[in-house]
Amino acid sequence: MSMRMTNNLWTLMRRELWESPGAFKWAPITILGLTLFFLVFGLILGSRFDNEMAFTLDAIRQFADVPADQKRLFVTGALFSVSTLFFQVLLLVLVFYLSSCLYDERKDRSILFWKSLPVSDSMTVASKILTAILLAPAMYLAVVIVTQLIVLLIATVYGWMAGINPFTAFWLPASLPHLWAVMALGLLIQGLWLLPVYAWLVFCSSWAPRVPILVAVAVPAVISLLQHAWSLLSSFDMPQLNVGLIILKRLGSGILPSNVGWRVDSNGNEIDLTDVEFSEQLFMSFSNSLDFLFRPGMWIGIGIALVLLAGSVWFRRRATDT
Amino acid sequence: MSLTIHARNLKRHYGSNRAVDGIDLEIPAGRIVGLIGPNGAGKTTALKAILGLTGFEGELEVLGRKPNKDRDELMEDVCFIADVAVLPRWARVWQVIEMTERLHPRFSRERCMHYLQNTKVKQNAKVKTLSKGMVVQLHLALVMAIDAKLLVLDEPTLGLDILFRKRFYSNLLNEYFDEERTILITTHQVEEVEHILTDLMFIKDGKLVLNATMDAVHERYREVMVKPDHVDEARALNPIHERVLFGRHIFLFDGGDTARLKEIGELHRPSVADLFVALMGEEYENRSLAEEAA
Repeated sequence: MSMRMTNNLWTLMRRELWESPGAFKWAPITILGLTLFFLVFGLILGSRFDNEMAFTLDAIRQFADVPADQKRLFVTGALFSVSTLFFQVLLLVLVFYLSSCLYDERKDRSILFWKSLPVSDSMTVASKILTAILLAPAMYLAVVIVTQLIVLLIATVYGWMAGINPFTAFWLPASLPHLWAVMALGLLIQGLWLLPVYAWLVFCSSWAPRVPILVAVAVPAVISLLQHAWSLLSSFDMPQLNVGLIILKRLGSGILPSNVGWRVDSNGNEIDLTDVEFSEQLFMSFSNSLDFLFRPGMWIGIGIALVLLAGSVWFRRRATDT
Repeated sequence: MSLTIHARNLKRHYGSNRAVDGIDLEIPAGRIVGLIGPNGAGKTTALKAILGLTGFEGELEVLGRKPNKDRDELMEDVCFIADVAVLPRWARVWQVIEMTERLHPRFSRERCMHYLQNTKVKQNAKVKTLSKGMVVQLHLALVMAIDAKLLVLDEPTLGLDILFRKRFYSNLLNEYFDEERTILITTHQVEEVEHILTDLMFIKDGKLVLNATMDAVHERYREVMVKPDHVDEARALNPIHERVLFGRHIFLFDGGDTARLKEIGELHRPSVADLFVALMGEEYENRSLAEEAA
């Protein structure tokens, strides 16, 4: 890719942030605010029942004495759970963003302005999908990191009050670089894993005459209903492969940090949770995420996504204001 | 001189509706071309084909490129204002300028600022809060700050007041146009552009009815205000149009003997609007009268 193309792509992605600051900037910042509000609220409420915070500080002192691996488990687990809400909202935001990304410009006719610039249609489509799998997760991750640092700072103050060393009790077990790297890799692989779903939304937004999100949901829903009806009528059985279930399974197995080794069998109705233990392995290992790269489903999905994105480019090329 | 637009048998059908039905165009550089036609005559479709916004049949080259294949490359040398109010409504003025600067290699920020200097457009304002006229000023500033070879304007002044319209065209003519550039304009407000045009095209039902330079048009078409006693004589000379104004009969002739025409009345240069009415036929005249009545 030439220098100019890279610059253009970056400009187009910044454009997406300018267009939807609510989705990419204010939504995570609001969650940060809410998280801190409830944390501080909880701490204040706790101190009301806890005379001179004797109980709290005692618990902290005891925590400082537990073995290192348990400390690690607790602190990283707590920090990970702080991030969950962010990434679930991110997924929701992306569904709405992608399903309108090529529709709004047609609706408000600004497509005529965008098409008056020397930017190709494939570049435009690429900027939307890269915003969804790189830029938006990066923004959310940045806010998550800030939230986690603030949570650790609050813990540090409590640690000082309890007279323990906050560094060895909280900061060291948090293993922040590792934690952040796992989250970043997880987000990246989640983006690839969900690429076919994202691409489907972009595809629908590139041609739907109105309410693209409804079209995007209705088409697979109707197909899977027909599939069910057909296989019930023809063989009195449930279909082996159902489009609707495949999409739902993919969405369900993609959300961080729960993209652990849950295996859902092909009937889609049994989830084997027996080998899931609450251990560090659940969220602090790279292999859980990297594992996805070796599933055939990942590459089939990316293949489908590329076809859908090519279709989106085709429609974008022909789209005008009417 | 190289051609800016070259089209041969350009067609665009929507089902059975022939929006553009076999147009031939040869537009060299350094012209200001008016493409005039009634609603639904195929003006916008023809422009969209030229800008690579729609598919077409036939041959079409703009600045040596195929618009339907290489729109993005073509847009380095072509600018268009498709209509008023197509700038992204969510964006702030500085964002629109910055995006254009970063995405367009021929854009000059200084020139854009220069054009915006005398307007009320504020850098931090959102496009949706600007008035229609201010949006056009902003868009025109953006477009004039791009060093392009072809500028396409589709109804650029629709819905604007007369002051804006006058300033719009005088800016265009005085600060932008030169012999390297070509401007292609469609508009309903013919009387405002006729003084700046070098070429005139009439389009009707997807076909070009007239395609000539303004000089040729002025040489070819004559309007004669005929004295009452010469009316029958004038009719015998095959006028292409006749109308009555304050009891005087006004005839429009395509060619004809100048000396003979002078004998029967006063010779005038027909306005583009009158020529339009004459060439587009009774059918359009009647329809526009009906529209006015409604």
